[in-house]
Amino acid sequence: MTSAVDLSNALAGAVERAAGSLFAVHGRPRLPSTGVLWRAGLIVTASHTVEPDREVTLTAPDGRTLSAQVAGRDPGLDIAVLRAEVAGMPAADVHDDSELRVGHLVLAVGTGPRASAGIVSALDVRGGRQREPGAMLAVDLTLYPGFSGGPLVDVLGRVVGITTSGASRHLQCAVRASAVTRLTDHVVRGGRIPRAYLGIGTQPVVLPNDLRDRLGLTQRTAVIVVNVAPESPAAAAGLVIGDVVVSIAGQAIAEPGDLVAVLQPDRVGQAVAVSIARGGEPRQIQVTVGERPARG
Amino acid sequence: MSGLLAADAPAHLAWIADRLREMTVEVSGPGGGGAGVLWAPDLVVTNAHVARAPRVRVGFADDRQVEASLIASDRRADLALLRVPPVEIAPAASTDSDTLRVGALVVAVGHPLGLRRTLTAGVVHGFPPSRSGSRWIQADLRLAPGNSGGPLADTTGRVVGINTMIAGGLALAIPINDVRRFVAARAASVT
Repeated sequence: MTSAVDLSNALAGAVERAAGSLFAVHGRPRLPSTGVLWRAGLIVTASHTVEPDREVTLTAPDGRTLSAQVAGRDPGLDIAVLRAEVAGMPAADVHDDSELRVGHLVLAVGTGPRASAGIVSALDVRGGRQREPGAMLAVDLTLYPGFSGGPLVDVLGRVVGITTSGASRHLQCAVRASAVTRLTDHVVRGGRIPRAYLGIGTQPVVLPNDLRDRLGLTQRTAVIVVNVAPESPAAAAGLVIGDVVVSIAGQAIAEPGDLVAVLQPDRVGQAVAVSIARGGEPRQIQVTVGERPARG
Repeated sequence: MSGLLAADAPAHLAWIADRLREMTVEVSGPGGGGAGVLWAPDLVVTNAHVARAPRVRVGFADDRQVEASLIASDRRADLALLRVPPVEIAPAASTDSDTLRVGALVVAVGHPLGLRRTLTAGVVHGFPPSRSGSRWIQADLRLAPGNSGGPLADTTGRVVGINTMIAGGLALAIPINDVRRFVAARAASVT
């Protein structure tokens, strides 16, 4: 008799616990998003909800208003890290997300607090195309307007991810807490989030069946290089226009978006193996991932 | 997690569903229709936009159909009270809707798109202000036309609200504390 009541109370308790470290983030016109105090002075939100070159203000649960600066972004994961002087608020109870399984009950929390509930529906939004579990979870719950950037919490109120409706057109997603922590670590160490950079422009291409058979590939598409920036890491490694990139560091590249997923900030400075087809022949090229030059 | 989802939780929810389905009625009449809650052996509460005529039909879970008379209606609060011939079905138990918290599990019973006594489940989403100066119970829970007037209940099976509207994909229910005040004022004046 009591177990369903206990579960209901646990869910309400989880929302209450998570709500204590939430901010309303005013980084775009009209609709504020949600931000989570991840650690002292650093607030995490969804990158698409904070417009570039805009003054960002935060509203705390007690109504106080703070100003914030964007310390770094990862547009691939749709995460922005903001810096603000926060006092008297507990940081989120960030939890190890490695125990998450498909089917686990989770809640998305927005400022207010407002809540919606559902389950983890996939451990990788890319539909299992990659071998490793991805940084982005798919969740079967509704992200209501203003929820983006808010926490995904388990039944105990521990933060296991950051929700965003901006990462996929069709799916509700959450960036794993561990991936978010890696980004905040970059900010703590270097004051910013480096952007990994190869220096290629690409277009998707359909792989002919005989080429797929010859290269032993299961993917139906890849990307073709249509531009190589001069003096870029790709140019230094000898990539040329017309090369078809099929995988990087063992991860399949079926569309340009897959490049963004592979080129995480941690890759900067690393040498990665780029598998290409050049003139129909397979080749492997080592490219040292660089850092994207500043704009302008 | 395993402690929270003990094996008897699903059975308990099924028991609650049975109870709620028993006390949820169908209301049909000229210009309206939907669900209602058996409040007392001879009283049914529903939305004003569901019961739009002085005489409407009320259907019970055992397929009995009776004629009901509209004894009170408040368009602004969107609440209506119907008198039915006394039945031997246990009426709804209600609880203090002010104690409801965001994130709490809730269930709704109604006749969405004519599917009689359908159960949907979700969580409390928030408590936005309503036009009448009170607050709605807003729930992340699927409703459809035909749910109006039906119960929103907590995990103890007690009714916490009357499902009234869908806005932005969210369910809006009138808190049962408001409903209780409405019934107390109207039922006293007609009996």
